[in-house]
Amino acid sequence: MSNNLKQGGDEADFTKPLHVPIKRRSFFMYAGATAGATALLLSGCDDDDDVMTPGTVSLGSGDVGVLNYAYALEQLEAAFYAQVIATPYANISTDERAALTAIAKHEAIHRDFFKAAITAAAPTQIIPGLTPDFSKVNFTDRTSVLTTAKTFEDLGVGAYNGAGLLIQNPTYLLLAGKIVSVEARHAAYIRDLLTPGSFSGSDVVNAAGLDLALPVATVLAAAQTYIKERINGDNVGK
Amino acid sequence: MNLFKIVSELEKVDPEIMGRLSHRRSALTALGDISKKMALAAAPIAIGSAFNKAMGQNTLTAVNDVLNYALLLERLEYSYYDQALSAATLTATLTGADRMAIETIRTHELAHVNLLTTALGTAAAPAPAKFDFGSAFATYASFLATAQALEDTGVRAYKGQAGNIPRTLNPTVGGNVVNLLTVALQIHSVEARHAAHVRYMRRGATAGGQTAIFPWVINAEPNGVPALVYGAGNPVATFPAESNLSQAGLTLTSIGGNTYTAEEVSAAFDEALDNTTVTTIAKATATF
Repeated sequence: MSNNLKQGGDEADFTKPLHVPIKRRSFFMYAGATAGATALLLSGCDDDDDVMTPGTVSLGSGDVGVLNYAYALEQLEAAFYAQVIATPYANISTDERAALTAIAKHEAIHRDFFKAAITAAAPTQIIPGLTPDFSKVNFTDRTSVLTTAKTFEDLGVGAYNGAGLLIQNPTYLLLAGKIVSVEARHAAYIRDLLTPGSFSGSDVVNAAGLDLALPVATVLAAAQTYIKERINGDNVGK
Repeated sequence: MNLFKIVSELEKVDPEIMGRLSHRRSALTALGDISKKMALAAAPIAIGSAFNKAMGQNTLTAVNDVLNYALLLERLEYSYYDQALSAATLTATLTGADRMAIETIRTHELAHVNLLTTALGTAAAPAPAKFDFGSAFATYASFLATAQALEDTGVRAYKGQAGNIPRTLNPTVGGNVVNLLTVALQIHSVEARHAAHVRYMRRGATAGGQTAIFPWVINAEPNGVPALVYGAGNPVATFPAESNLSQAGLTLTSIGGNTYTAEEVSAAFDEALDNTTVTTIAKATATF
């Protein structure tokens, strides 16, 4: 339980470090507080008595579903980098700290943007703040942190690329385009930190010179590892 | 006639004006030419139209036009890296991992050329006989500066056409059914990866140790490339400069109870560019 990470009580606190250990009782208080306005369903604990299953969050359908999908991924990225900056890995260089701090801000801006934009467009359909689970990440270790960052950035690129054809409103498509290229810049940078020259490696860019474009289900299956709530994206873009 | 004063006056009326011109000197040259031909009283109107010419707009609608536009940009990029890799002036500096990275980028650009050519079939425009990049390969630093301009422009160019590609087009290309919008997005993010790496290379000692350059675009900082690359297009509401701080009507320097700097907000979103402005940049980079 002690390695479970919890964000602040509300997504407004999302930029704060996420290293407050969560107690079972306070977790239910938190879940109860957000359940009212959302599709959050408490489905009890699973067999591993130290791991909670807070419930299921449905991303919804149509363009709002796509926006919620992006919001979910940006929440995850923002929470991750906030932790990276709060507890930097051993011997982090000044240069890397500056760049990772910038990335943390970009992701926080994306998250805050989607929250505000969805609230304005579809106030009853926005998903709640999600609870990240970074228990598999060793934040003191550079390789662990950067490998996780690479996963998130490449996943983000593949997610936005794959979601393009699901978006009906051209304004939203352009917005997704404005964000995905920044994610690709992040991905290239992180990859170069891990393995110099791997900015567009053959594991992400195929022989036709094309980047990843991933179905929603594939992205969510990968992202689910890092999110406590069960995310349902079955109707995104439909 | 005080040309500096006129430019400064124009900037008061239209703060974006300098962003639309490659650099201050070209603005002054344009004004100088006009002043020779026009009576002073008529000059302000003539200047206005000269600046309007520097502004572009999106004129592409048909999908094949969009694809041929992308094809031209990819041919330009491929030729740029291909010439660089055989340039005698770069053999001593473009070495090792840096040479391998440029070879990787060249491979991707060629793959894009081939993909678009195949997709267009008989509708593919003929390739220009030659792209002449002038003195771009004179030094390692100048080579990378122009590479950054091309990649960042490529990212903006694809983004500017996303809305012109119907999401329902699924042609068969090379035996595979592909979604054309998805393909364009997949190329778009590869260009962004390239841009990030080229920017990263410019931080290195051989390229002048420009550590103020990050893999992302901060404000509309030109980093020694033509300012037009990061300036506004036309219409400005659709194609703002890279220094843009608002998205979907939301000002992002203060949002969700958090505050962010202009540097952070501008870098968090890349902006699109219309095809006319992109073509102007391409023609300023190469003769073809």
